[in-house]
Amino acid sequence: MSSVLPILLLLGPLVGSLAIFALPVGKEASRTVEIVHVAAIGFLLVMALAVGGVTLASGPVGAFGQWVYVDPLAAIFVGLVGVVGFLTGLYSLGYIRHDVEHGELTPFRHKLYYGFFNLFLFTMLLAVTANNIVMMWVAVEATTLGSAFLVGIYGKRSSLEAAWKYVIICTVGVAFGLYGTVLTFSNGSEVLADPHGAILWTTLFANAKALDPMLVKIAFVFVLIGFGTKAGIFPMHAWLPDAHSEAPSPVSALLSGVLLKCALFVIIRYYAITMQAVGPEFPQTLLLLLGFLSVAVSAFLFFVQQDLKRKLAYSSVEHIGLILLGLGFGGPLGLGAALLHAVNHSFAKALLFCGSGNVLMKYGSRDLGTVKGLLRVAPVSGVLMMAGALALAGFPPFNVFVSEFMVFNAGLGSGWIWLTIGAALLLTVTIAGFVQIISGSVLGKAPETMRKGDLGFATLAPMGLLMALVLIFGFAVPQPVTTLIGRAASVVAGGPATALEPPTPIYGIAPQLQLEARR
Amino acid sequence: MSGIHLVNGLAGLLIVTSLLVVTARKPAHSAMFYAAQSFVLVLVFLALAGVTGSHELYTWSATAFFTKVILVPVIMSRLFGRLEDQKLGTGERISPALSVILAAVVVVLCFVVVSGVALPTAEAVKPALAISLAHFFLGLACIVTQRNILKQVFGYCLMENGSHLTLALLAANAPELVEVGIATDAIFAVVVMAVLGMQIHRTLGTLDADQLTTLKG
Repeated sequence: MSSVLPILLLLGPLVGSLAIFALPVGKEASRTVEIVHVAAIGFLLVMALAVGGVTLASGPVGAFGQWVYVDPLAAIFVGLVGVVGFLTGLYSLGYIRHDVEHGELTPFRHKLYYGFFNLFLFTMLLAVTANNIVMMWVAVEATTLGSAFLVGIYGKRSSLEAAWKYVIICTVGVAFGLYGTVLTFSNGSEVLADPHGAILWTTLFANAKALDPMLVKIAFVFVLIGFGTKAGIFPMHAWLPDAHSEAPSPVSALLSGVLLKCALFVIIRYYAITMQAVGPEFPQTLLLLLGFLSVAVSAFLFFVQQDLKRKLAYSSVEHIGLILLGLGFGGPLGLGAALLHAVNHSFAKALLFCGSGNVLMKYGSRDLGTVKGLLRVAPVSGVLMMAGALALAGFPPFNVFVSEFMVFNAGLGSGWIWLTIGAALLLTVTIAGFVQIISGSVLGKAPETMRKGDLGFATLAPMGLLMALVLIFGFAVPQPVTTLIGRAASVVAGGPATALEPPTPIYGIAPQLQLEARR
Repeated sequence: MSGIHLVNGLAGLLIVTSLLVVTARKPAHSAMFYAAQSFVLVLVFLALAGVTGSHELYTWSATAFFTKVILVPVIMSRLFGRLEDQKLGTGERISPALSVILAAVVVVLCFVVVSGVALPTAEAVKPALAISLAHFFLGLACIVTQRNILKQVFGYCLMENGSHLTLALLAANAPELVEVGIATDAIFAVVVMAVLGMQIHRTLGTLDADQLTTLKG
């Protein structure tokens, strides 16, 4: 179905970004900039949910001659950009104003921040709505360019270093993605009746069986290396801890919560083509290998970090690894679990990165040796941090538990018993790491000189909303989301649609899959 | 000499120019060699257009000429010309002679890999295809073997030229917009890297990648 909705969705943040860049800079941080920003992210949220709703009700929507295409798979990621983009955008208001007041950012950089923030949202939306595979690559490359200045916005030695590493590693990585894209396109244009159709993912997917198997395999390896760099998969993750720790906290939340998922989305698109063309064994072996390595290496690196934000960054690598494991286990349950875990991790990690922002504003440090007793100093922030840490460590009744449980279930169900047990054991290392954060920094004894009092409503409200999402998805994943994920899994697997039934404390722990009659 | 021979011969010339880009003593010189290399690339596109009769390739040649032969080198020599790091010197991790040997090894390996590809379109242009792949990896090698961060930017440009050539060889009839998208992105990438490089030079007073070691672990 052709619709104007995806175009409006894309235009929102783009127009917002251009408008903000065009605004004049005064001696103080401009309120107008913030108003335009809030309008843009509000519009983004509404449009993202609307596009998701329409996809759910009446099937995939396209625009620009199918160059832009939102099917259930894309709708999940559009929703992530919309929801997490909106909440971290709101959180930015209090955080960035604090930075301006304390002289860390000039009014000019304040404007640049919001301009690039919206541009970054636009590029991520473009990546997840692209059906044209070259446009998909262009968009992912553009996400790097759009967010590089956000990473280096403080202009300090360490932030510039992080920005440089980010740009170099990711553009080089994504150049591999370009090579994979080019190979796939050439392969398609060779065998398809209409060579121009080879540019569209939908056409390539429909005709995947006709593609040259050898080239499909080579292309998948290039794609996995290329977009895997951007997704923070081990061993291509080197940029991630630096960029996540040096960026302003709301940007860290966006990088970890959404950007990594957008790159994964591209990998999932190619995974679907590859499974059709050469069968599941080849791509799944690669995904399981990289997934397990990501979990294994990051669990220990996570544990030893003393810097709160670096710690959280390594935790992101670990969760990306878990998502890869889910994808690699395959089947409707594995794919569904992976997609749900992508969503759940986004909410929980965005919450914790915002929490790390509160810690920074309060203590002026990210060092876990310095940050002590947050619960006494800033009680609401402390409770939110603690809940977020427990959620990410995988405790019920929080959302991450539900999807982790499903991933492991899929692992046992698909016969990868030792791999699943190994990954589950590694998670205990992670739990220990989160206990460090909770027992030392959230509980612990606050420094005597520390002035008590929580941060303002502007920073706590978005965190409260994220917390609510973490709990809602922990107790009972909303019906539209499970339906969408079930259908997305069937898009990837190329089978009939299945509705996902996650385990919840209410329904009892019994993940089942029920065939949902296609309308 | 037939068109296909011309394509393969010119592709060989690309390796020579990319070695010049990598081994040039100053980033501003590299920019000039990069322009020369892009010009060779445009010639390859034109020769290929003559062979395949693809109209799209003529358009590509025009956009590539404008962006890669003129725009990007001008931006780079303007921005990089002013940046100096005396202490860094040439910033090579390996000697130019070793670079040449390394390049030869990469080219041979790529010929071996490409010989396994069974696509009918690729048959006649296999040497050029191998070189385009080698070009991609030479770019990567440039980033790894150069400590000067400005030279690393050229590494990316070489990788991008390599994939561009692969695209032209294997899918000469790709829509122009594809090519425009890739070219625009490459320009933005170079601009962003150049601006960051300038900020680093201003704040840290160095262009040495080995000096960027504050963040660890």
